[in-house]
Amino acid sequence: MIDRATAPLVSVSGLQKAYGALQVLQGIDLTMKPGERLVVIGPSGGGKSTLLRVMMGLENINGGSITFAGKPYIHAGATPAKTAIDVQVRRSIGMVFQHYTLFPHLNVLQNLILAPCKVRGEKKSAATERANTLLIRFGLGQKATAFPSQLSGGQKQRVAIARALMLDPKLMLFDEVTSALDPELVGEVEQVILQLARQNMPMMIVTHDMWFAKNIASRVLFCAGGFIVEDGPPEQVLGAPKEERTKDFIDRVFHIRQ
Amino acid sequence: MAPLDFSVLLRFQDALLTGLLTTLELTLICIVLGCAIGFFVGLARTSDNRILRGVSGFYVEFFRGTPVLIQLFWIFFCLPLLLGTELSNFTSAVIALTLYMGAITSETFRASLRSIGREQYDACVALGLPRWTQTTSVVLPQAVLRAIPTLLSNCISLFKESALVSAVGMTDLMFIGSNISNNTARPVEVLTAVALIYFVIAFPLTRAVTFIEQRILTKLAV
Repeated sequence: MIDRATAPLVSVSGLQKAYGALQVLQGIDLTMKPGERLVVIGPSGGGKSTLLRVMMGLENINGGSITFAGKPYIHAGATPAKTAIDVQVRRSIGMVFQHYTLFPHLNVLQNLILAPCKVRGEKKSAATERANTLLIRFGLGQKATAFPSQLSGGQKQRVAIARALMLDPKLMLFDEVTSALDPELVGEVEQVILQLARQNMPMMIVTHDMWFAKNIASRVLFCAGGFIVEDGPPEQVLGAPKEERTKDFIDRVFHIRQ
Repeated sequence: MAPLDFSVLLRFQDALLTGLLTTLELTLICIVLGCAIGFFVGLARTSDNRILRGVSGFYVEFFRGTPVLIQLFWIFFCLPLLLGTELSNFTSAVIALTLYMGAITSETFRASLRSIGREQYDACVALGLPRWTQTTSVVLPQAVLRAIPTLLSNCISLFKESALVSAVGMTDLMFIGSNISNNTARPVEVLTAVALIYFVIAFPLTRAVTFIEQRILTKLAV
């Protein structure tokens, strides 16, 4: 019998992804247990964001497969266009992007309830009630009828997180969600993600913010050149990296931050 | 030159008003029909289906690449021969200007459809929205909003271009104006007045375009 606490939530094997001749992911193997919070760090172009986009089912792949909660999720086909993606499984994953992807013609509340009503057939009144609860929890209670253009960057990202949570995801993906924000707005978004972390929401986070990485990660992956170069607890990967490339990267990042 | 006498306009004000109403009626009908055609042609031009893309592309390029006057003449004089029936002036003008408007607005719709960023489609996938919901709830409303300022400009152009129907004997504002001008030998007064009437209607609309454009761009700036 499989022990539910230790059975992997995500299992990636031999994952390959190329954009034309450019090989971005060169055979990634990765397992993630329920409740883990993976932070993926590494240089630009190292494949971090691509890994998250593939996990979300936004990209075709060139090789390998992914299973989610024991179910086959993504499987490479004979050609990238023939990648098999299980849409039902995909619905248990939520994602927040670097650039605010709110729907600009809908107000905050409409952004939140669109998917629950259209995808799950939830009643509008029920969805609205859940949305309002979430908005209050994220300090956005006053903003339900505001349009995205009337919000600050930090507020937009909190709305985007709330929108993803409306579908009760089993895994949340955060792709550089604070990179486009003014520095003073970063904290409020990170606080919301830390709040989710305390509730044991499994998540994969791509970030350049090492303070945030250290505070939220249960495990850190250093990704470069399309490989996972180093994989371990935050104290080790960020504090005492074994690999030379990781060490170089960490040194440079912390140097810039000082 | 004889001294200017604008009283001639008062004698013919009813005729000028009738001409203006014909012009407005024709323009409005062609705007509604033309936008409807333009929307679907715009969709067809962005479609994955090669035949749809080819046929719609040929239609648009043909109507954009020939003078409106030729299009009008062809539909007035050649189409009835091909169909073997008479077409009224008004029907012919509606057909010609609608097809012209459809071609112009399809480009507007195509551009607005293309201006919707990849992130919006990514967000739809991440939220698990079915294709139909993606189209009707996310893509179309944004495309139409973005198209509004250019569509208004298209409408103003059509209003002005509609003066060409006078060349085939339709009694619009232009036709009536030039008739009065010929009969009274008062071209300066009459043609100036006709120009002003076109301007008084078109100018506020061009101002409105700028205003609405700013509003929409602010709203959709995310």
